[in-house]
Amino acid sequence: MRSLVGIGLLSAGVLMSAPAAAQDVEALRQELQQMRKQFEAMREGYEKAIDRLGERIQQLETRPQPAAATPAPPGLAPAPAVAQTAPADPPAIAATPLDLARPRQPFALYGNRGPGQLLFDMGVAGDFIGNLTQRNVDKANAGTFAGRENRFFPREIELALFGQIDPYARAEVRVEAGEEDQGEIALRLAEANLTLLSLPFNTQLKMGQMRNRFGLLNSIHEHDRNFIDAPNVLRWFLGEEGLVERGAELTWVAPLPFFLEALVGVFNGDNEDAFGRGKLSEPLVTGRLRTFFELGDAGAIQLGASVASGETTERHRNTLLGFDAKYKFTPVGWQHPLITLLGEMIYQIRRVNVLGEDTNGDGVPDTPDQTRVRNRWGWYAGGEVQPFQTGWLSRFGAGFRYDWTQYPVMRGREWAVGPFVSFSPSEFLRFRLGYKHTERATRDGFGDNESSARKVDEILFQATFILGAHPAHPF
Amino acid sequence: MRSPIRVTAIAILALVLGAPGLLPENAAAADKLRVVATTTDLKALTEAVGGDLVDVDSLARGNQNPHDLEVRPSLMVKVRRADLLVVNGLELDLWAEVVVQGANNPKVLPGAPGRVDASEGLLVLEVPTAKVDRSMGDVHPVGNPHYTMDPGMAAQITANILNGLVRLQPQSRPAFEKNRAAFLAAVEQAMGRWAATLAPFKGAKVVQYHPVFVYLFTRFGLVKGGAIEDRPGIPATPGHLSRLIQEMKQERIKLVVVEPWNDVKLAERVAQEAGAKVRVLAAAVGAVKEAQTYLDTVDYNVRTLAEGLR
Repeated sequence: MRSLVGIGLLSAGVLMSAPAAAQDVEALRQELQQMRKQFEAMREGYEKAIDRLGERIQQLETRPQPAAATPAPPGLAPAPAVAQTAPADPPAIAATPLDLARPRQPFALYGNRGPGQLLFDMGVAGDFIGNLTQRNVDKANAGTFAGRENRFFPREIELALFGQIDPYARAEVRVEAGEEDQGEIALRLAEANLTLLSLPFNTQLKMGQMRNRFGLLNSIHEHDRNFIDAPNVLRWFLGEEGLVERGAELTWVAPLPFFLEALVGVFNGDNEDAFGRGKLSEPLVTGRLRTFFELGDAGAIQLGASVASGETTERHRNTLLGFDAKYKFTPVGWQHPLITLLGEMIYQIRRVNVLGEDTNGDGVPDTPDQTRVRNRWGWYAGGEVQPFQTGWLSRFGAGFRYDWTQYPVMRGREWAVGPFVSFSPSEFLRFRLGYKHTERATRDGFGDNESSARKVDEILFQATFILGAHPAHPF
Repeated sequence: MRSPIRVTAIAILALVLGAPGLLPENAAAADKLRVVATTTDLKALTEAVGGDLVDVDSLARGNQNPHDLEVRPSLMVKVRRADLLVVNGLELDLWAEVVVQGANNPKVLPGAPGRVDASEGLLVLEVPTAKVDRSMGDVHPVGNPHYTMDPGMAAQITANILNGLVRLQPQSRPAFEKNRAAFLAAVEQAMGRWAATLAPFKGAKVVQYHPVFVYLFTRFGLVKGGAIEDRPGIPATPGHLSRLIQEMKQERIKLVVVEPWNDVKLAERVAQEAGAKVRVLAAAVGAVKEAQTYLDTVDYNVRTLAEGLR
């Protein structure tokens, strides 16, 4: 039976190959014909437009100029052979009652919808994660994506709306949906803020809900980051979502021959992992200094230092200091960096409550409750190489990241290493595949469901797409 | 002993207060209008109008593809000091908006007097007439933005720049107009030469790597004959290249033009298969060493096209 099917398929293939070639030729002819028609249409359109403009110029030249007219400055007339395609500044023409009755912006937009007619930009970014790990890690909910081990899930589907409010301010609103626990999709306001652009002394004020500019990666949405997952130090010290706060940030760019940006911010302090007091009367205060240097034509480095200081839910102060660096090497003529290296370090000075200890086992604490300072820190360093300049191979990259961090409150530390490869068929689509090995110095805190996960091995997959508008990424 | 934070704060304050001394500006330079253009073409055209009265810098270098420029803070430093920002528009240099947002300079915000969109009033080619989406590649939804390649557009572009300069420095209008008239006269003089050089090849088809030279072709009667990119911004597939080679053979296309940052080896393989030549054109002022001014750039492109089509 199988052999009969094979013979049938083979025969069908042979019989179809000749007509297929003929079809190819016919399809190419049709394509060629269509291109010729398109070219003719374009040429005709061009000629008609030139004729129309010529007629318009003639009409305007024969019409008496109103006093308020502001024609192009004298001397602007192009030389005869240099075709000026449209008048620089068309003379004002007295409006007729009919003109005044016509709908105007913004109402006219509905009649003229098309490119450039929207009042703001909008885009959708989709970021999907898949991960595979050991059974004990799954059971203990101790993977990188806690509660979503061995799943493929939408981490961040983001609708972004952004643009100018008026000549003085712009706004951005980002709404995100993503899986937070097995199968549960949460919808949340990721960002909603406005920026006053024309304040005195070259300052800008951003207010609303925002991802704080603390360190390198915190202000960047997950789908735009250099790695599949958030570095461990950021997850431990700033929480799964990072530092997203409500308040205001003031920035100032120094009048120097090199880039130096200073930032101060005042926020509620809603982040429960690091702060959590959530009151402007006891605010979270942030600050950042960022500088940048070109190292020849190809290299460039950015250095930053950040601080965030606020009160925790225990009403104790927590101060986070951040230091970061990013280096890119983009050879002349390349459209993407050959080498990207980056790293961040966070140092925490946090006062915490420590309950009294029962030293003799009688069930009664023998030492008093007290407060102690937890000075903890962690860091990561990583990078990516895209070794090919052009062609399909230029779409491939390979990278790695090393993490080392202490835990902010409990005892212990962990380290992790994670290589990955990436492939971007276009600027708007990217896939990454990575491996991550994590080792923890303790089992405490990673033992849900009577399981534990001191060593974790994970295979990570990421698929990211962008629909519509997406602003260019800063360095 | 002073705390490190206090020492750092004092150092930064001293740096900022001493900044004017660090800036490489003399009194004469301080009187000049500081203009930043997004591309080297617009820099050259602004210099042609502004002459000695302006100090012009560009964000993209001549050897950088302006479609996808990395937004470096060093670009923000340039825009931070600018009185006027000249943008190409038509969504070629959208990245400039991110630069402006990071520069904290209200003088060059969209709609401010210090902002010039050089594409205003131009007759734009390849404006889509039907629905476009990214299945067509990285298409420009408001039309082809590479109008500076056509010297015939210089009159309108420089008129836009002149209007911007006059808005900020009205007393210098006569000087700007004089500079512009002299520049356009030079373009006019060269235009006859360029047209004569390419006249024998009118109607000839030329394959491009990316549709950058459509305006140049249209001006001198050459015809766009397909592209090596599958679709704008999308690398070529073997199937696409095979079809392109067949088309080139059928249409007897003899020339493939590329930008300096394109995959020249791939273009050479295609040209070799189709029996054509490959020539690198200057996609911007400064893109090749022979193209250091606007007129030189057009001159180089015209000469290279003529030589390639011969």
